[in-house]
Amino acid sequence: MAGKKTIAVVFGGRSVEHDVSILTGLQFLEALDPGKYDGIPVYVDPLGQWWTGTALTKRSHYPLKGDAHKDLQQIHLDLATAAAGRPQFTAFQKSLMGEKRIQIPFDLIVPAIHGSNGEDGTLQGLLDFAGIPYAGCRTLGAAGTMDKVFAKKVARAEELKVLPELIVNRPEKGTFLDPEKIKQELVAALGSETYPLIVKPCNLGSSVGVGKADDIDGLIAALMTAFRLDSEAIVEPFVPNLVEYNIACMNSPDGSIETSAIERPAMDADVLDFKNKYLAGGTPGGPKLDSGPSEGMVSLNRTLNPDELTAEQESFIRGTASGIFKALKLAGSVRIDFLCDGETGEIWLNEVNTIPGSFAYFLWEAAETPVSFLSLTNRMIEEGFALSSSRLGATDAQAGDSKIFA
Amino acid sequence: MTDKSWFYKELGASENTIHWLHGWGTSHASFSRMAELFKKDASNRLYDLPGFGNTPALSKDAGTFEYSEAFIKQLDPSQSHIIIGHSYGGRVAIQLAAKYPDRIKAIILVAGAGLQRKRSLKFKTRAFLLRTLGKLARFSDSLFKTSFREAYTNKFGSTDYKNAGVLRQTLVKAVTEDLSPQAREVRCPTLLVYGSEDTDTPPEIGRKYERLIPLARYEELSGYDHHDILSRGAYQCEALIKAFLKDIENA
Repeated sequence: MAGKKTIAVVFGGRSVEHDVSILTGLQFLEALDPGKYDGIPVYVDPLGQWWTGTALTKRSHYPLKGDAHKDLQQIHLDLATAAAGRPQFTAFQKSLMGEKRIQIPFDLIVPAIHGSNGEDGTLQGLLDFAGIPYAGCRTLGAAGTMDKVFAKKVARAEELKVLPELIVNRPEKGTFLDPEKIKQELVAALGSETYPLIVKPCNLGSSVGVGKADDIDGLIAALMTAFRLDSEAIVEPFVPNLVEYNIACMNSPDGSIETSAIERPAMDADVLDFKNKYLAGGTPGGPKLDSGPSEGMVSLNRTLNPDELTAEQESFIRGTASGIFKALKLAGSVRIDFLCDGETGEIWLNEVNTIPGSFAYFLWEAAETPVSFLSLTNRMIEEGFALSSSRLGATDAQAGDSKIFA
Repeated sequence: MTDKSWFYKELGASENTIHWLHGWGTSHASFSRMAELFKKDASNRLYDLPGFGNTPALSKDAGTFEYSEAFIKQLDPSQSHIIIGHSYGGRVAIQLAAKYPDRIKAIILVAGAGLQRKRSLKFKTRAFLLRTLGKLARFSDSLFKTSFREAYTNKFGSTDYKNAGVLRQTLVKAVTEDLSPQAREVRCPTLLVYGSEDTDTPPEIGRKYERLIPLARYEELSGYDHHDILSRGAYQCEALIKAFLKDIENA
């Protein structure tokens, strides 16, 4: 059909959340309106190589074994837009006459990589640099939310409620953390040295590397664990009677910010086992009732629209989520996570995920005005085209008298 | 529930009703994911076909025609209806639309069966040899009280055939039938959705239906097979079906 746009969904990636990202990417591809879009799966393997091929669309093909790459085509993103104006991947095909270069044109990239090298603004920056349209948050929002300390600073500036924190840097090689110094810093940053405390790496989206400390020895141990993943760690007070709430935000076509249903995830929901939880059946001769829906974030135990929330708490969550979304000029479907003391009912903004698992579509489908996954993908793609085309006007060096070499 | 009424699960409430007929060897539950996406727009009746799930079987030699005759009795006679059929359910939908043009508003076949595929000479030869072997086994059983036929079925019978139980004759009838004459009689708008990786009802069957049915729209979804088109492919089917239903409303 003429006028169909080709959407390249990039997933996998060099990140600890590699496996979850595969599901997010495949789910997005499956929810593309076939009347408007053609989807291309683009898999970034743990080595950072990019691949495409229909074999990538089946969950049963993961994890890819060494020889599974045979059906796939390795591709490179062309950073110089072709004369025709469409971005493209290039690949090399072996033939009798030697290697032949082939082009795979597309219209927009959907980053579906969670965590570092994808959700953190690096991929977005690369795409902006190359002038390639993409969906979701721009570079600033993606980078600003990935750095938890920075995101909290912005939240404080916007008078949004967050927990106090202490930043600890990884000690130089050959040196150790000084417990006395950390104790002093704790008092300075949090007001007192009160345990338990929560320690997390500064730049990771998921719960990987997060630890709880009940005393100073536990704190040092938790910090060392966090430093294996990041050079900076955040220490925060532990919220007693902890209940978590998540909500998603996106831009509404009328210019306002739309919020989704609120979920209360099951507390140990972060322990994801790829094989058990994600891989759906569907092999030839396998059971006919392929339990398709059981996958990824969707299958985790959660309560949607929990009824214990008061109207006041709910409007606090919606208001704070919209506030941070607006302050960081976010886009796409963004999930914002909150911490709550179940006894006192006090709530704090915890973190922002610009590429949440499954793009949080289940939160949108359960919203007061439901948004189907199909229309979510539509809206994210249209927004991506609009944002990318409005970013740069004339990029010509002639513009604005900045030409030096005549 | 009387013997004559079919079990169904209802999803959503609306004036418009969509009737869902599942494929061989499954039940109404095979549509549970996809029909969920239509909850806002229609009342969805997900039936168990006779002999599957909670609906008792028809007579032993019932074929798709008998299924369609039994099904028309489930439908409100004052209205014309929309039917979505997967695989075997698609055969029943074709039979209905052919015989009751006034009662059927539109049919949607998702990986619908009912037409014979082009087979290679190798396949035909093998099928002929196997059929002959099966006949010999049965002949020997009747003459010498051997049990070759059972061994033959265990070795060469399809999973569906082995599991068919009382529906074995119904299955054999379906596998050998050709609904081309019925397809030519279909007068309602028809949507045909096929998965490119489907090996049970490959795209070839959909295109053949498209040629036979006067008002047909053929759509192929790349990367889906006979079964995961209902689960993984649910959203893409949703988009195609909704676009199709909108077009017939506007027509």
